Amino acid sequence: MAPNNDEDLALSRRAARGDHAAFAMLVEKHERALRGFLIRSVGPDVADDIAQEAFIKAWRAAAQYDGRARYSTWLTRIAWRCRLDALRKVRPVEPVQPAAEHATAAGEVEDMLERLSESERAALVLCEGHGWTHTEAAQLLDIPLGTLKSTVARAKSKCRAMWEGADHG
Amino acid sequence: MADAFERFLAARLAPPERMPDRRFVSIVHSRILLEDRLAAERRTLVADLIKQLVALIAVAAALWFMGRAAPVAEWFAQHRAAGLAALLVAFGLLVALLSRRPGANPGAINHVASSAVSRC
Repeated sequence: MAPNNDEDLALSRRAARGDHAAFAMLVEKHERALRGFLIRSVGPDVADDIAQEAFIKAWRAAAQYDGRARYSTWLTRIAWRCRLDALRKVRPVEPVQPAAEHATAAGEVEDMLERLSESERAALVLCEGHGWTHTEAAQLLDIPLGTLKSTVARAKSKCRAMWEGADHG
Repeated sequence: MADAFERFLAARLAPPERMPDRRFVSIVHSRILLEDRLAAERRTLVADLIKQLVALIAVAAALWFMGRAAPVAEWFAQHRAAGLAALLVAFGLLVALLSRRPGANPGAINHVASSAVSRC
């Protein structure tokens, strides 16, 4: 079982028995991190829709949560699948291309993230901002560990170049 | 040791420091209630449909067996129009009887939907 996970597991088990109050506590506890991740990685326009969809699926699948992974990891995995499903519905799966490949000056993190691909953003936000391990992030994004590490390194390198270009260096 | 860029990145990418968003929690709760209600309605509709089909088949089978009995078959042969009218009346009554759903409240889903939307 993941450390400090007893409370989430207990709440999830109560939710699986139909306890709405227990599930509301889980939503309260995890919405901030999930929505923060989604806003950074897929954009603010669709983040809340995906987050709501993920929580509804988590409610329906509450009995399947076994406490082996952190609840936030399990929930983020559901949200990421919702995102991929939504992308498949609108067009064939293809990597979302960044706004600009070249490293130009960008002082704010939003500008930097805009210039990364969606998988680079997701990997960077999880590993650098949310404290996920590389292994957890690789599992979420369904890519090999080595690929994840190089994705994070490449994203950081791009951001650093933009940050230094904006007179921070 | 983390340099200024690493500290900047970690600070900006971390989850926002704020209180839980009660409005978001309420929206999720409303959507769950709405979906549960719709799923229950769907289950009821399917169950009702199956019951109605079974009832129709049973009545049709009963009529068929009655129609095979010699006195009834003779009467139908002599009074085709009256027989057909009786069958039509019986069918109309049966449809009216089966289409009634005891306890059904067609406005209930609309009420749940509108209250969920108003909370959003």
